[in-house]
Amino acid sequence: MVNTIRHYFSVAACFARLAVQRQLEYPLFLFSWLLMIPIQYFSGIWMLKIIVDRFQPLNGWDFPELAFLYGLGLLSHGILVVLFINTWHIDNMVIQGAFDRLLLRPMNVFFQLIASYVNFIGLIDLIPGLIIFIYGCQLVGFEWTLGNIIKLLLVLLGGVLIRASLFISLGTIAFWTKRNASMVGFTLSMLERGTMYPLSIYPYVLQVIFTFIIPIGFISFYPAAEFLGKGSESFQLPLNFALATPAVGLVCFMLSQWIFRRGMKSYESAGS
Amino acid sequence: MEAVIEVNDLVKEYIIVQKENGLRGALKGLLFPKKKTVRGVDGISFSIAQGEIVGYIGPNGAGKSTTIKMLTGILHPTSGTIKVCGISPQADRKSVVRKLGVVFGQRTQLYWDLRLGESFELLRRIYQIDNSVFEENMAVLTDVLKLEEFIHTPVRQLSLGQRMRGDIAAAMLHSPSILFLDEPTIGLDADAKHAIRHFIKEINRKRGVTVILTTHDLDDVEQLCSRLVVVNHGKVVEDGPMVSLVHKLAPHRLLVVELQQPFHDLEHPSAEIIKQDGLKIWYQFEKSRISAAQLISELSQKLPIQDLSVKEPDIEDAIREVYKTT
Repeated sequence: MVNTIRHYFSVAACFARLAVQRQLEYPLFLFSWLLMIPIQYFSGIWMLKIIVDRFQPLNGWDFPELAFLYGLGLLSHGILVVLFINTWHIDNMVIQGAFDRLLLRPMNVFFQLIASYVNFIGLIDLIPGLIIFIYGCQLVGFEWTLGNIIKLLLVLLGGVLIRASLFISLGTIAFWTKRNASMVGFTLSMLERGTMYPLSIYPYVLQVIFTFIIPIGFISFYPAAEFLGKGSESFQLPLNFALATPAVGLVCFMLSQWIFRRGMKSYESAGS
Repeated sequence: MEAVIEVNDLVKEYIIVQKENGLRGALKGLLFPKKKTVRGVDGISFSIAQGEIVGYIGPNGAGKSTTIKMLTGILHPTSGTIKVCGISPQADRKSVVRKLGVVFGQRTQLYWDLRLGESFELLRRIYQIDNSVFEENMAVLTDVLKLEEFIHTPVRQLSLGQRMRGDIAAAMLHSPSILFLDEPTIGLDADAKHAIRHFIKEINRKRGVTVILTTHDLDDVEQLCSRLVVVNHGKVVEDGPMVSLVHKLAPHRLLVVELQQPFHDLEHPSAEIIKQDGLKIWYQFEKSRISAAQLISELSQKLPIQDLSVKEPDIEDAIREVYKTT
């Protein structure tokens, strides 16, 4: 057991080193990323400010609270982009035969899929998220107590797991259909919209879906509502949010693993 | 000899959706898909002993790659059983793939952006290769495949031949006992082909590695394989030693005769004239009916022969026969 863990760590470290080296091969790409990502997110928060300033608070959420909510969502998105970006490209791996190669190596396939590309460039995604979140914390007067920090970390963990589970489950579809890039794009924009605004502004049906079926409400809305003492207006959830988000994340992740394994059984490779 | 690979009644079915032409066809296919089950592999059985070099050949779409993918645990068969070193690759993939080296000629497992040596380091960790074994294997591979010229070069800058040598080295680092080569010489120049064939012979002779080779290059087959398994339409159509296969499938030999001057009575009862071009005549005859020596002596009694040569049937003729008849 200890040996197995050591083996997987050694391989993960080597994968990570190679990933850094590969990314440094393309400095121009890194540069454009550095420019693009902050612009994208800061314009996002600017839009929110305009909406709130010109009209009225969104369903009782004022700008500081919205910044907190948006920042919280961006943080889990940033971590996902660093650790799980390969789940967006499962269809490419299937078509190019890279997935076959994972099956030919004596290690867990899902581990290889994730570990083989740590997206260090994605750390840039985290910077605007951090700035917006800390700014939001200042505005709402978030208390940095030990208890709150632990809760926050648990919420982030859960949020990352929920996002990852979605992309894993979608990626698995590529085992049957070979193509799923449009699904990945759709999910990305659904996640952005669903975590940027309070869930309560959406129609009731969507709220139900985003709570019980595709539980992206737990990524930022429910935790933020609880942190800010807003209570969830639509549903009275029995669990404390700090436990709910990681618990929902774990359940989703286990479900996605099950789907992934089912998918591998009917994996049909591609080409010759 | 103990069997390292045993395949029994292997079947792989695919469901394909039949599409019709045009927009109407596309819409129809979307609403009422016509599904059809196709057997890519249709009841294949064979067994391969330790140390054999087997050519697994057949036309495009015969089910070669699908079979290899099932043997290596990538695909799950619809039915039938596979045992590699006594273990089912579907039941215990990790144990089986540890013993396998797999090279797909049209794809690389090397990191495109990085030096060749970096990919080897990753494999050393993945397969948990002992340092001493790793050094020893690297020394042998570097020597036989002449890796030293380009081991520090980024893979994207390698020539196809160098890349293929790198890929074969990568597949052999963990001392596998079975090596699968899927079209290892595709697109290579004569030198690179020679280097790779030489390497395959070496590891087979020195380490007793079992080699399963799919290829369309019949020189590969002729120079390497002691045994051929020929598949077509998902079925094994021939399986046996190469020599007897050629003999069985292409029993004809050719005698090419060049005359000094034109002559009218060219017929011979045991040989058939299949081609005539000026003073050159091609006789086809069967080994079992008449020997070459007898045919030559009988023909030279009546014909003014200037020059002659006997052409043995080769593997190409045999393979063409197989594809034609099935």
